[in-house]
Amino acid sequence: MLTTITNPQRRRINFRLPLCAEEVKVSAMAKLIFLWLKCLVSCCIVEAVFEDQVGKFDWRQQYVGKIRFSHFDSHVQSSKKVLMATEKNVFAALNTRTGELFWRHVDKTGPEGNIDAFLLHGQDALLVVGNGRLLRSWDISVGGLNWEVVLDSGSFQSACLIGQQDTVKHVAVLKKTVISVHYLSNGHQKWIENLPESENIDYQALYSGGNGEVYVLGIVPHSHIAIVVYSMEDGEIIKQTSVEAPWLSNIQTSCAVVGQGMITCVDSLTMSLYTLDMHTQSKMTQIPLQSLGLEVTPHFHPVLVSHQPNAAHQPLSEFLLQLGPEHHLLLQLNSGQMVVLRDFKPVRHMTPVLTSCVFVSESEKRKCVLFLLQGWIMASYIIKVPLLNPVFQIYVQAFLKKDDSVSYRVLVQTEDHTLTFIHLPGRVMWTREEALSEVVTMEMVELPLTGTQAELEGEFGKKADGLLSMVLKRLSSQLILLQAWVSHLWKLFYDARKPRSQVKNEISIENLSRDEFNLQKMMVMVTASGKLFGIDSKTGSILWKQYLNNVPSNAAFKLMVQRTTAHFPHPPQCTLLIKDKDTGLATLHVFNPIFGKKSHITPPALTQPILQSLMLPLMDQDYAKVLLLIDDQYKVTAFPSSKNVLQQLQETDLTTTQIWEVIIPTEIQKVVTVKGKRSNEHVHSQGRVMGDRSVLYKYLNPNLLAVVTESTDVHQERSFIGILLIDGVTGRIIHEAVQRKAKGPVHVVHSENWVVYEYWSTKSRRNEFSVIELYEGMELYNSTVFSSLDRPHAPHVLQQSYIFPSAISAMEATLTEKGITSRHLLIGLPSGGILSLPKMFLDPRRPEIVSEQSREENLIPYAPELLIRTEWFINYNQSVSRVRGIHTAPSGLESTCLVVAYGLDIYQTRVYPSKQFDVLKDDYDYMLISSVLFALFFATMISKRLAEVKLLNRAWR
Amino acid sequence: MMHISSILLFIMYFAALVAVSWCFTDMETGPGAALFSPPNGGDRFKIEGRAIVPGLKTQDWVSSARVLVEGEEYVGFLRTDGSFTVNDVPSGSYVVEIVSPTFRFEPVRVDITSKGKMRARLVNYIKTSEVIRQPYPLQIRASGPHSYFMKRETWGWTDFLMNPMVMMMVLPLLIIVLLPKVVNTNDPEMRKEMEQSMNMLSPNPELPDVSELMTKLFSGSKGSSKTSSSSSSSKGPRPAVKRR
Repeated sequence: MLTTITNPQRRRINFRLPLCAEEVKVSAMAKLIFLWLKCLVSCCIVEAVFEDQVGKFDWRQQYVGKIRFSHFDSHVQSSKKVLMATEKNVFAALNTRTGELFWRHVDKTGPEGNIDAFLLHGQDALLVVGNGRLLRSWDISVGGLNWEVVLDSGSFQSACLIGQQDTVKHVAVLKKTVISVHYLSNGHQKWIENLPESENIDYQALYSGGNGEVYVLGIVPHSHIAIVVYSMEDGEIIKQTSVEAPWLSNIQTSCAVVGQGMITCVDSLTMSLYTLDMHTQSKMTQIPLQSLGLEVTPHFHPVLVSHQPNAAHQPLSEFLLQLGPEHHLLLQLNSGQMVVLRDFKPVRHMTPVLTSCVFVSESEKRKCVLFLLQGWIMASYIIKVPLLNPVFQIYVQAFLKKDDSVSYRVLVQTEDHTLTFIHLPGRVMWTREEALSEVVTMEMVELPLTGTQAELEGEFGKKADGLLSMVLKRLSSQLILLQAWVSHLWKLFYDARKPRSQVKNEISIENLSRDEFNLQKMMVMVTASGKLFGIDSKTGSILWKQYLNNVPSNAAFKLMVQRTTAHFPHPPQCTLLIKDKDTGLATLHVFNPIFGKKSHITPPALTQPILQSLMLPLMDQDYAKVLLLIDDQYKVTAFPSSKNVLQQLQETDLTTTQIWEVIIPTEIQKVVTVKGKRSNEHVHSQGRVMGDRSVLYKYLNPNLLAVVTESTDVHQERSFIGILLIDGVTGRIIHEAVQRKAKGPVHVVHSENWVVYEYWSTKSRRNEFSVIELYEGMELYNSTVFSSLDRPHAPHVLQQSYIFPSAISAMEATLTEKGITSRHLLIGLPSGGILSLPKMFLDPRRPEIVSEQSREENLIPYAPELLIRTEWFINYNQSVSRVRGIHTAPSGLESTCLVVAYGLDIYQTRVYPSKQFDVLKDDYDYMLISSVLFALFFATMISKRLAEVKLLNRAWR
Repeated sequence: MMHISSILLFIMYFAALVAVSWCFTDMETGPGAALFSPPNGGDRFKIEGRAIVPGLKTQDWVSSARVLVEGEEYVGFLRTDGSFTVNDVPSGSYVVEIVSPTFRFEPVRVDITSKGKMRARLVNYIKTSEVIRQPYPLQIRASGPHSYFMKRETWGWTDFLMNPMVMMMVLPLLIIVLLPKVVNTNDPEMRKEMEQSMNMLSPNPELPDVSELMTKLFSGSKGSSKTSSSSSSSKGPRPAVKRR
């Protein structure tokens, strides 16, 4: 049923999972084993961070995402907070001086944590969350929750604060059919009312002018506006009017309330402004734009922006009107009279509701023109800030300085999700790259060698040309090294004299070079917004960034390193495949990963939708690995496609033919993940030495694929997950396993001869780990080379399962240069910790009963539950939110593996799965060893002298 | 006999299990029905409780803490007084944990019946149906700060001295120093005996005897001149030492 191909040589699965019936026995034994385990764990395989290593090898960067709403905390004059609600369902407070986080609250992902509205009143921030499901009030000074209430169901429309006699004590929430008013102090509902005729009228906006009345504005498109006025006290309808407006289709986009309760609308068809006094009039007054000497740019929908500085007062009588992409006007409506205050012709960008009204020019990308309007003071500034990308949104805080002059702070969000915070004369206080909150994929690229290093390396590469010249070359290179060392010492000495604060190890692209152990690398990160970053792995500073403008919003990315830095003078080369998920059309972006510059190599034009891409181990004459792209016509495009490459492929016309097929019935199950092994993985030992000194050989098939399927039936009794191990060359199914009463999300790690996967057991309501290991047996069939076509014996399959006491958000295995170091699994937890779990605990050979042999082999007795010890958290208290992926890369040291965890935050560190066996530890006590040496030296000197004296004395006697 | 007792135990356990599941029959079926209903339909409940960190103001830790229900399935936040409510949770069985980067809180399993009856119990992943009641509304007390760090091995004199290698070196040294004082070396008979035993121990007379040298060095300075002169005469058969 599962597959059409049957596997005759299927082995017995050693499946060990405590089931309900066995629970008593298991748990009794488990206690014994637990004790044993605790002893073992605490004495031999502890790998943790030491307290003095905090921040030495690791760094974390916290992000919030693209801003949806933002307010400045203007409650206290000296406040340094700016509050933001983002599209990543994060609510955070940032320090305006430094751009760092004060606090941050990360809600559920998806529509249930979506922030619909954000209102700020004094110390309280009100958020409407989950399409009007929850109303939350946060205390912004502490960052704690004041209260949270559940609102009635119904899709959210609008929310506003309601003031009465100069104080704001209530908040109103408008939904499709109801309006409710809540107390600000505790969230309790004051009253809730059904909206009249809500099946016909689309209620869209709320307004309160501070006089104890709540105005609800609804519309019947192309017919009339309905205005319902509620009494603040008891929710009684005071007045209900309907006004003819056959030209209007949407209130929110075309209308605004200005001045003393005047609804002002703009219509592009009739080229007119319409005003209506909500208190008195019942008919709209038409003011043709021509009468003001204005006209709308064709095909442009005009926008109106008004501003209400305080909910207890009426909005300003000034408002902004945008008539074209570069045409803005400041108008004033005073007792029915419309006056044009100012015409800003060349200014393009305008933001909706703000503390002040703002324009930003874009005609010259490097110049922003900013106009501020507050009360009756109007000021205009020109600020010159290098903004590299078009402005997307802008938030302004205007305030009065001590000398009564107007000053401002601006938070600018550009299209590439960069936040820039600007002070009055155009001084950039800080920038944040919020695009890094959604890293999609990344690679770690080795840094290039410096000139001297390259020269030294070159010496070994060249052909020998005589003994004398070789010696001379050797001497000269040693001289260069000496010179470099002396200059380094001089620099150290020079820096030591300067005060500590002035010494900055500025890292720039110019002085980037590989360090002794290749521990510093370039992290090339690709973000969902289409911005690429090059980050120094040692410090976390962004060395280059590049924004790709033409990236579709639903793009899938694949980053490949085609040429590493090892092929000097050829520059390193990375290729990013950007594919539109809907159309399947793809583009290639080729760049230098060290400098971020776009390569001059022109990638092939891809006209057909791309199905698959793969990197071959083959290289062309310029040492670039060959990338193959298969389109929907099953034609293959090679990049680079030089003659040399085609020769190597022994093919002139690249096409595909089907070799094998495994049918997985889609009505029962669907393929979730296909995982091969990592191409840069090395396995050092071919087998494992058993207790009786025999060797159990590993089944190391480089072509093995792990395919994970999930059942389409989601009922908890019938759902299952399946795992298939398929040889990629022959299509032979090496092993298949089905986990019944289990569901995803499944996390898989496939490496060496093992596959580890994690799933949710619906029966026992817990997360479980399962490990499959493959062995050839006691003899190796062909020890020199592995061929999928010539392996007559099916491997032995061992499997074991364990309980894991937490959910998982990402999983990866450590990777080292030569694969000698033992492996650890790095597991990102929802709590924010990154657990480093020794693979030793996930070993299907863990025995149930301890024997002499298993002890000899250092096998841990089987225990059903895996432990989470906080000492194993490689990121100690630096929690990483919403870990989406963990990237591991080998370093030049065999003991050390570089780790980058990315999600909402980015965390980089080093791990030593078998401790640091190849270098002196960082706490190595040089003082002790040298003092002991000196002490011994002096002791010998003194004792020698004493002995001499003594001998002399004896001789005299 | 062992077999029978284990079977008996098993039957007893099974009976207990049945009894437990009888009490909470709708607990098992509840989640399935509620989970797959649309979010608007089906009853939604709230999980309430309070987190306490002894001896610390709530302002200092609430902003970095969160309440996670079954991983990140449902998320709640802590109020400024340490209490929390997780809204919109359908009936089912959930593990509720408070995550904080500084303090450790024990997770609790909360069962909600389809009628909205709540109970809290200890989390036991092995015996999933075992019930050890916990108070509801939840009272979760921090069991102390997280221990993330290992202790560095520090170098101390006591560690050095208690090292077996050092002990092995120091003890013989003490014996060498003290033995000549305890045993009367002036007694000629005794000396003869010792010399004999020494000769037996070191069959190669060419090899310098370190211990003897040490003895001489340390005892000589305090010992009488007589001893030293006599010992020098006794050195006759050891030219190797004399040569120095």
